[in-house]
This record gives sequence, structure tokens and C-alpha cells, in this order.
Amino acid sequence: MSLLEVDGLTRFYGGLRAVGDLSFTVGEGEILGLIGPNGAGKTTVFNLITGFVQPSAGTIRLDGKSVVGLRPHAVAARGIARTFQVVKPFPGLTVKENVTLAAFLRHPSRRDAEAAALEVLGRLGLGHRAGDLASQLTLMDQKRLEVARALATGPRLLLLDEPMGGLNPSEVDVASRLVDQIRKGGVTVVLVEHVMKAIMRISDRVVVVSQGEKIAEGPPAQVVKEPAVLAAYFGKRAAP
Amino acid sequence: MTRRLAPWVAGVVALAALPAIVPNSFYLHVAIMILMWTLLGSAWNLLGGFAGQVSFGHAALFGIGAYVTMILFLKAGLAPWWGIPLGGLAAALVSLPIGLVCFRLRGPYFSLATLAVAEIVKLVALNWETVTNGSVGFLITTFPPVRFFGLAVDWESKLPFYALAALLALGGLAATAWLQTSRLGAYLIAIRENEEAAEAVGIDTVRAKVLTFALSAFLAGLGGGFYAAYFRYVDPDAVLNINLSMEMVFIAMVGGLGTVAGPLVGAVFLTTVGESVRERFQVGHLIFYGLFMMLAIRYMPEGIWGRARRLLAALRARVLGHVAA
Ligand SMILES: Nc1ncnc2c1ncn2[C@@H]1O[C@H](COP(=O)(O)OP(=O)(O)O)[C@@H](O)[C@H]1O
Ligand SMILES: [Mg+2]
Repeated sequence: MSLLEVDGLTRFYGGLRAVGDLSFTVGEGEILGLIGPNGAGKTTVFNLITGFVQPSAGTIRLDGKSVVGLRPHAVAARGIARTFQVVKPFPGLTVKENVTLAAFLRHPSRRDAEAAALEVLGRLGLGHRAGDLASQLTLMDQKRLEVARALATGPRLLLLDEPMGGLNPSEVDVASRLVDQIRKGGVTVVLVEHVMKAIMRISDRVVVVSQGEKIAEGPPAQVVKEPAVLAAYFGKRAAP
Repeated sequence: MTRRLAPWVAGVVALAALPAIVPNSFYLHVAIMILMWTLLGSAWNLLGGFAGQVSFGHAALFGIGAYVTMILFLKAGLAPWWGIPLGGLAAALVSLPIGLVCFRLRGPYFSLATLAVAEIVKLVALNWETVTNGSVGFLITTFPPVRFFGLAVDWESKLPFYALAALLALGGLAATAWLQTSRLGAYLIAIRENEEAAEAVGIDTVRAKVLTFALSAFLAGLGGGFYAAYFRYVDPDAVLNINLSMEMVFIAMVGGLGTVAGPLVGAVFLTTVGESVRERFQVGHLIFYGLFMMLAIRYMPEGIWGRARRLLAALRARVLGHVAA
């Protein structure tokens, strides 16, 4: 059985179908790339899985158990963590406080939560900034903080929404290695990303969506050659 | 530990000494008002200062506490020292459905919803005459005789009320101090900083807000119950007045949001300014009062207490810097 099973997922915004009849699975220990042009519905899929938005139709199962209808905090408690495409730190709090708040989910005592937070920060190379205000971090570090906070909730499945957007090529390399490390640490990952180099390098499998629908699925090297994918990304004329 | 306890010990000693040094009962009355407003400012601050949820409806909770205390005394013969905590509990109970409805809304919409709820509660008090006596309200004429450590309590003096108000104010401050170190308090700050991110990391934001609202309502209800016993008079205009809500907001804001001592500082400032201006300008005092609050909020957005703490920290840094150099 897959860790995550999404079946027939659909979401309308008024007349607009942001996600339509989307089905895919994610196996335990996998890194799944979820790609597609801007406005394809990727962020909406994350919002649906994490309970920020309710589906118009379809099912979402973690370990065979439905998570539809749960509020986001309850989804997090089940073991699904996410980052936001536009980072949402607690700006007036320190980096350590940001992550400690997330660690409370698995560590009720403040001392344990703080220790867990420092451990995660160290793992993500943010240990030296623990005492700084989140609002003072560079974009790269704010993106790292976003990941650190998600990891501190002790997830089984981590949904990363464009964690590399706005990073320079060497930062992308660092971030790619980080995602791979996270998976090695036993966390399954769904990665939404526009940086194709990163997707190609670290995803085991890729699902391509366009206008809310799945148009291709498979190993990254193979998927990017499919005509439907090229058409979605570069317009009809580019298709062979 | 001793450093944390020191201000509390000093506060209790000062409170115990105060009745002996004030020249007359007017000053004791001012002290009682400061203590009552400290409690009310603390009540509002728990929700507004920590969770960033600006309620304009706390008068309703105050009023419920006042009515419950009054009705229990007049209709069931229950003395105010039982009625006041029961008034607080009633306010906390009523806050639960209010919270569940209003917390569906965010920001200014939440504030407006609480304002509407307060108006509804006032309308109920005005029209449910069999229980509330409508616009006429209730009046207490005499208190039951009580002995305290063998001494008869003199209800005609302000001393018993001063003691009660001091106890309640300390309770409000202690509740704030507790919240500041608790996990719930940390959750509230997360909610204030970014509510979506708070949910995403597993914080049940609705639960945290509803719980805090109930605690805040309990304290506001205690304040209302105290008011009823002290002024011996309750009617919709007196205890369900929107001005009460506004004064709680201003006290917490002027004193400094999300701090323990802020409401005390705000209550001292506003009660003294308010009361002394009230003495001199029988009619226009609310204008002066409002003007002062506007200036305070304009020029000291972090509140008097917040500003004072920053200045102190800066001063200490300079002094220490000199010593080091
Ligand atoms: N809250 C919303 N209200 C209305 N339309 C929305 C909302 N969120 C997303 N959409 C629309 O849904 C579509 C998919 O958006 P999104 O999931 O953000 O795409 P992606 O993340 O793939 O760029 C877009 O057309 C977007 O405008
Ligand atoms: Mg997106």
C-alpha cells in the first residue's frame, strides 16, 4: 500500500476548475516531483491534502485512512507537513522559537521541544541563526526555516511547495542535497518545483499537471520528453 | 526564581500597606478602581495582547458577571463572594458559543462580530424583564453580616472591597504571568504572528482561541461581579455599556500588549487621569480621556510599559557599556 493515495481529487473555485479528477500515489520513502506550468493547480493540491481547502470531490488517504475533512492542525498531527510557496514565518519570533512551536506537536514539554528544534536547525544548517529573528533571515534561510519548521512536526510525508524558487544555482544544489537527506532520514517527499535541474536530479518519479489534470507520469527523464508535457510547458507550437 | 518572585512580593506588600497611608477614602476608591481595571485590562490582554484577537465585546462578559452576581444575591440570597466567582464562570460559559461563532471570522470581522454580540446581550438584558428587571436593573440595599477572623466586616467602609479588588487584580496578573510561560501562550503568539502557519505546524488555533477567550471571559466576569457588589447597582447602561469594552481595549493598549504589568500601568494611568479630569470637568472629561489615549497610542504604540522597558534596557546597556569601557 502506498503512503499517500489521492483519487479523483477535484476542486472548483466558482466556475474555475483548479484541480480536476486528479489521481496519484506516493510510496513510502519516495521523492515525487509534482510539476506543471504556473496556475496548473499544484499549490491547490497541497492545500487540499493539508486541509486548508476542502475538495469538491475525491479522496485523500494517508496509510489507507482518509484525511478529508480534517482541519490543517489535525492533518499535521496525522503526519503530513507542508511548506508554503510564499514563506510564512512567525516574523517577530526567533528562528529557534519558530521551530520550537512546531516541535511542540510531538514534544509537549518545552525543554524537549527546544532540544528537538535545535537538532532540526542543526541538520538544516541554521543552527548559527537560532537566536535571530525570522524576519531578519535571507530568502534562502527563510526557505530553510520553512522546511525546518515542517520537519520539526515529525512528519511521515513532507510537501515542499517550490522550496527553491528565487535561489541561485549553487543554493539550488545545496537545497537539492538537503531534500535528498530528508528522504534518507525516513521522510517521504512530494516536491513542487520549477527548477527542472533539481526535479530531474532528485525525483524518483514525476507527475505532471496542467489545468488541474494529470497529463503525464513516470521517471523524470522520460516524462519531460512526452509531447503533452512539452505542449503544456511551451505551447502547442513547440510540440513535435 | 527569587528575581521572578520579587516584584510579586513587593506588589503584595505595597497593596497591604496602601490603606494605612492613603489620606482618605476617595484615594481608596481610586485604588479600588485601578485594581478593578487592572483585572479587566488583564482579561482583555489575554486575548487581544497574546492572540491578537481584538474584542470589542468584553462589556457583555463583564455585564454577565455583574448580573449573575446581583441576581444570585437578590433572588437566591447567595453572598457576593460566591456570586462573583459564579459570575466569572457564567461569563466563561457564555464565551464558548460566542467564541465558536466569532472565531470563524478574522481580523476586523471578528472585532465587529464581538461588538454585535455585546449589543445582542444588552438587548436581551433590556427585554428579558422577568430575569433582569429590564432597564430598571437591580439595587442592593444591605449586605449580609459576616465575620472575618472573628471581626465583623464593615461593608460601609471601602476596606473589604479594596481587599477583594486587590485579590482579583493579583489573580489577573498571575493568570497573565502563567500564560506567558505556558504552551498555550506560545500558541497564541504563533496565532498572532501567522494563523495559517500556526495551523500548519499542528496548532489547533480554534481550540487555543476558545480556551483563551473563556479564561479572558472568566476574568472579565469576575470584574463585573465585583463591580455589582461594590457599586451595589446593576442596569444595562451601567454594566453592558460599550464604553466598558473600549476602556478595556485602551488600558491594555496603553499599558503595553502581551505584557504582565501592562494592564496595571494602563489602569493606573487612565484611572488617575480619568478620575482627576472627571473631578474638574464634569461634562467634558471623556473628551480629555479620549484625547490622551489617542496621543498615547500615536506616540507610544508599544504602550507605556513597553516604552519604559525599552528605555530601561537602553539605559542599562549604556551604563554597563561605560563600566566595561
Ligand atoms: N483561493 C482561490 N480562489 C480562487 N481561485 C484560486 C484560488 N487559489 C487558486 N486559484 C486558482 O486555481 C488555479 C490553480 O492555482 P495554484 O494551485 O496556485 O497553481 P500553481 O500552484 O500550480 O501555480 C489558478 O487558476 C488560480 O488562479
Ligand atoms: Mg503554486
